[in-house]
Amino acid sequence: MTISLPVILAVSAAMFGFGVYGALTLRNAIRILMCVELVLNSVNINLVAFSRYLSSDPAQGQVFTIFVMTVAAAEAAVGLAIILMIARQRSHIDIERINLLKW
Amino acid sequence: MTIIDWFFVIAAAITLFGAYRVVISEKIMHAALWLALTFAGVAAIYFLLGADFLAAAQLLVYVGAITTIIIFGIMLSSIEDLRGKAGNTFWQRVSAQFSSPRHGVLALVAAGGLTLTLIVLLARSVWPTAPAESAVPTDTPRLIGEALFKTYVIPFEIASVVLLVALIGAIVLATKDEPPTSNGEEQP
Repeated sequence: MTISLPVILAVSAAMFGFGVYGALTLRNAIRILMCVELVLNSVNINLVAFSRYLSSDPAQGQVFTIFVMTVAAAEAAVGLAIILMIARQRSHIDIERINLLKW
Repeated sequence: MTIIDWFFVIAAAITLFGAYRVVISEKIMHAALWLALTFAGVAAIYFLLGADFLAAAQLLVYVGAITTIIIFGIMLSSIEDLRGKAGNTFWQRVSAQFSSPRHGVLALVAAGGLTLTLIVLLARSVWPTAPAESAVPTDTPRLIGEALFKTYVIPFEIASVVLLVALIGAIVLATKDEPPTSNGEEQP
């Protein structure tokens, strides 16, 4: 098995870049949530790769990945509930027009 | 290259192409389905890295649950965005983004610059040789279970509390608070 660590980290970095670009440019709140999930997944790839190649305890990084998955599931549920409530009140979820907390 | 390497190249290509389509798709439902493909590619990468339990959990949690809940969120909330903007192709949208410095160029410089910097640094840095090349874990569910219930038992319990709070919070937020319909019972 000759998959090297920098190649996996480069794939993860590219995925992170896609997620950051989407979260910065898109205007639909649900698509921003999807891009945040992309970022979290790229971080998970990093954790698994480090635990596979560099750690002496192979379960350590995978346990961290499980915790990240847990928090990501909670974040998706609460975020979508908030988006649903905003959509019910305003009938759109365009974040450029949701400016209640902007000055 | 061995066959494992070819599998990794295919999985990475699927993952990156799916992530690209998630960002640039016109219709939000297409973006959600490409997101499911991206999660499946990430599960394949986990499997190739020897984390088979995590690959199964990724398929169950992300491809199964989170994609479904995102699709439900799309169908319940964004009616006006569901079909995309007609007559607005991808390149028109890109040019519109690049014409305004706030939306296009700065985000592209930030994300692309970050990614390029990371890749250059990864290529230039010297990594320690893998100490565990011979000790590829074979029974990761047992190892993860022991680590979760011995070393990380307090974070495990806190994570369960986080899930419970998120569950209650999501129910409270998403429930419609309807006004009382029967006026006769409210007034004495």
